Amino acid sequence: MNYQRFLRSQSLMVAAGSVVFPFYLLFIRNIGESYSQFGWAYGLFTLIAACSYPLIGKMTDRFGDKKMLLVYTWGMSIVMLIIPITTEIWAIYVIQILMGFLGAVQKTVEKTALSQHVKRMSHTAGRSIGHYHLWTSISSAAAIIGTGYMIDFLTIGSLFYLASLMFFTAGIILSRGSKTLSDKAEERQNADAKTLPF
Amino acid sequence: MKKLSALVVSFYLLCFFTSIFIYYKIPLYAEDEGKLLPTAIKEIRPATSKSSLQDWVKTANTQKQKLTIAGQQHTQGGHTLYPGATMIDMKSYNKILDYKPDKQVITVQSGITWEQIQRKINPDGLALRVTQSQAVFTVGGSLSANIHGRDIRFGSLYDTVESFRLLTPEGKVIEVSREENREWFPYVIGGYGLFGIILDVTLHLTQDELYQIETKKMTVQEYPSYFHEHVRKDEAIRMHMSRISVAPDTFLTDMYVINYQLANNQTMISRYSKLKGEPIIALPKAILGLSRYSDYGKNLLWDTQKSYLFNEDGSYITRNNVMRSDSRFMAFEQPGRTEVLAELFIPIDEFPNLIDDLKIILTREQLNLLNITIRFVEKDEQAILSYAKEDMFGLVLLINQGKSKTDINHTQKVVQQMIELTLSLGGTYYLPYYPYASEEQIRKSYPKLDQFFHKKKELDPKEVFVNLFYKEYK
Repeated sequence: MNYQRFLRSQSLMVAAGSVVFPFYLLFIRNIGESYSQFGWAYGLFTLIAACSYPLIGKMTDRFGDKKMLLVYTWGMSIVMLIIPITTEIWAIYVIQILMGFLGAVQKTVEKTALSQHVKRMSHTAGRSIGHYHLWTSISSAAAIIGTGYMIDFLTIGSLFYLASLMFFTAGIILSRGSKTLSDKAEERQNADAKTLPF
Repeated sequence: MKKLSALVVSFYLLCFFTSIFIYYKIPLYAEDEGKLLPTAIKEIRPATSKSSLQDWVKTANTQKQKLTIAGQQHTQGGHTLYPGATMIDMKSYNKILDYKPDKQVITVQSGITWEQIQRKINPDGLALRVTQSQAVFTVGGSLSANIHGRDIRFGSLYDTVESFRLLTPEGKVIEVSREENREWFPYVIGGYGLFGIILDVTLHLTQDELYQIETKKMTVQEYPSYFHEHVRKDEAIRMHMSRISVAPDTFLTDMYVINYQLANNQTMISRYSKLKGEPIIALPKAILGLSRYSDYGKNLLWDTQKSYLFNEDGSYITRNNVMRSDSRFMAFEQPGRTEVLAELFIPIDEFPNLIDDLKIILTREQLNLLNITIRFVEKDEQAILSYAKEDMFGLVLLINQGKSKTDINHTQKVVQQMIELTLSLGGTYYLPYYPYASEEQIRKSYPKLDQFFHKKKELDPKEVFVNLFYKEYK
């Protein structure tokens, strides 16, 4: 996977998350009977993420960035299909657990992948990271602003389906990336200096 | 590799379409302002044109579908809800069709709010005749609930309606006035949307006026004679309301009245005629919030309201602005709890007796009562479901309660006791709120109820227009 491909898929998944995020909050709030349930649903997300980080770190070293990101994008594309059909609070807890885990995968891999990318250009690392955040943030902003217009014409349910398609497409973009690049940590270490690590 | 990709895509598409299939099977829930009657409905359709409304009604009539009509949905008894029905949302049907300032009449589509009309007529120095204290409601909804407000000189809302066009349950559009199709008039006004869709309405307007606010502290015993002698006889008092304390320290004892008196110098009106915007509501919201949870809060709310109002004594306000008080600070959002209204109508002279006995009921029962406001309703028996058998005071009670079955049963027990008391004193109660009243109580309060439902079956034999109120009491 090269950097452009990584950036494209990351931008798309960040945008997908931005499309649904405000409505997802509303959704949890509406299904929950009390603020304590809302608190639990949110707390579970963070708690599961916290507990999964060490494991995900090891898994990333073992399986490589690309596979882990595929788990994230396709995992999220399925979660987005479950949300609109959820009507019970227990199902929300399950979704929050899944999303806590997947969110931790995304955060970890984003950092490992970026760090690999900038490793060989330490004198311009800041610029590269700035470039990465510029484009992912622009995607996020465009998604948020665009949703404001779309929501007049789409139901909230269809926003989740749209986000699911975006996550799935982000996975497709990733999966078509070159297999030779830093799929495993060992390969990363031995990677040719001329080749970008994505 | 290609095989694997095909497998992944196929699996995803399978999940995708399964999810959509299930999504469309999930019932759509709708609820009204009372939040106690979430109802699985078929769909919500925004009204756009007369012809599409006509098509929907005709289709519903031939295909035995059910329709409900919704405006702002501030009724609290499921008057806009019915299981499996299509809810027609009238809010988008809100144009001004004709406006003749010189003749003081306006014709509007029924989904328009009073606020939207005010914005149109205020620049011409005109005002509404009869509306609620707030202007957020739709005209169609207000007519269907036969509402009342602070005005004490223009009779009922019924009197202010020149005519309206009705889309009947058969899908015909008819003109209803005191000359044409007049048999529909008393059933549609105060008919809770059971006789068809009010398409547009021609309303009488009046001159906007400048009032001087007069506030007075009063005892419960003094109030009826004060009202007869000072308020009704003084033609200069155009609008009136009062409040009685629900704070523990002064419970149902302390009260004050507010008169809106025609100002001597009407030329000053231009200084006050700008329509009030939305004030900052943080403080009243915080105090009302406190009063929900503690006696201290209730005492604080009463004292604050009182001192605020006595500060207003002598100040000026236009008629249009009296009719658009802010109610946003009252918005209440807490999972598991809600706020409902109940309104009792009591003949003026029985007011002190009602309060004495209410005190006994409410001291015995635990009811989180937040506010009581009192308005005057003049005798008006034109609507079939009219509530003002004689000149009455309407006491609006704001109750904070839980949504559980036990909580609903508890409030029901207390409200039924209050209605029973009111009935024993020759009073009635108001129908747009949660149906806490017993079958017997509604029939006593509304002796023409059977006539109402009989006519409903005659004019809408297929029961195209339905709602939970109809389901409960028919």
